[in-house]
Amino acid sequence: MIKTPDLIASLSTNLTPVRRLRPPLMRAFGWLLLAAMVLTLLAVAQGIRPDLAQRLRDPAFASCMAASALTGILAAVAAFLVSLPDRSRLWLMLPLPSLILWLSNIGYQCLADWVSIGPEGIGMGEAARCFATLVLTSLPLSLALLVMLRYAAPLRPTAVTIMGSLAVAAITATALSFFHTMDATVMILMWNIGTAVIFVGFAGTFGRTIFRWVTPRVDAPH
Amino acid sequence: MSGDRGSQTPVLKLVAGGERIDVSTSPPNRDLDWAILMARAQDGDGAAYQRLLQEITPYLRSLAARRHRSADDIEDAVQDILLTIHSIRHTYDPTRPFGPWLATIGERRSIDRLRRRSRHQRRETPLQPEHEAVADVGVDMEGKSNRRELERAISDLPPAQQMAIELLKLKEMSLKDAASASGMSINSLKVNTHRALKNLRKILLGRNEL
Repeated sequence: MIKTPDLIASLSTNLTPVRRLRPPLMRAFGWLLLAAMVLTLLAVAQGIRPDLAQRLRDPAFASCMAASALTGILAAVAAFLVSLPDRSRLWLMLPLPSLILWLSNIGYQCLADWVSIGPEGIGMGEAARCFATLVLTSLPLSLALLVMLRYAAPLRPTAVTIMGSLAVAAITATALSFFHTMDATVMILMWNIGTAVIFVGFAGTFGRTIFRWVTPRVDAPH
Repeated sequence: MSGDRGSQTPVLKLVAGGERIDVSTSPPNRDLDWAILMARAQDGDGAAYQRLLQEITPYLRSLAARRHRSADDIEDAVQDILLTIHSIRHTYDPTRPFGPWLATIGERRSIDRLRRRSRHQRRETPLQPEHEAVADVGVDMEGKSNRRELERAISDLPPAQQMAIELLKLKEMSLKDAASASGMSINSLKVNTHRALKNLRKILLGRNEL
């Protein structure tokens, strides 16, 4: 084992200047800007669903969308705040109210639609396009967030990963309800909850290992 | 922030002074000093960084001592914290107090280390004597038989010599104690021990030759 004074000496010789992180709110805003960009590109590529204006007049649909978008924004802010060592963990509660609103709306729709329509309306083509939207939205956003928050690995990996995944899942869900008409089918509801559960579940199980491959190695002083 | 490097010191004094009440673990002045040193270290000042790390080490050691017991563990934890500080030093914002930043890193790393240790320990079993595949029979038997042979040889000696060997060699008493315990004079104890050893050598060697 190297002696502590020797370690300190080796760390402080050849010390390179570092660029301080920008304030967490600004960084969260940057990431949300990227999310908005991804959504716009998808809108250009796939086209917004034709009945969006009409659906937005439905209070259940509108509040569900607003709640999922708000959950995405607040969870991103919380992730950036909690990733810093000197901020309170209580910020994790920030997206909770909108999350509850979002999930309770999905639950209600799910029940209502189960009774009235049934699962036979799902076409394979639509499901595949739905999946494409899902991957196209969540993959770049997850990777960007992973790189932006990599320094949190030795501190609060699980909390930060869960918050980040929630942000990605909520924004993906918002994107899905923008682009796909089959919000009344069981399929999209499964996606909506499924993305959130899969992301959060994976994050909870692999929270530590997810960060590891982008983390600067802690045990190698230079 | 990062723009006003030249006028950093007065800015730090003002802001850190207002918020340092909640830093219970480090005295206020020290916190302010550390914040300034860290801000300089972020700009690449190696000497300030070395001073900072040297000054926080005792504090980190006390922090680690709350979670770990052995000195090696504590030192390992301190080094782990120092390395973590080094790798994420860019996350410190000089307009905020240094104490909470440092304390969280110390806490998180100590707890993480504790968890990792307990995970390891759950997979490990301490090595017990019954885990030995080959019992240590031979040596022990030899020791026992030697002992028995010696005891028999001693019992063949005249009583005075037996007493002298018993007290001086087996019980390892001093001459004075042995003299008062046996009632023999120191001189006769010496003589008897000498004779006893000579006789024992004769008895044991004679037996081995047979």
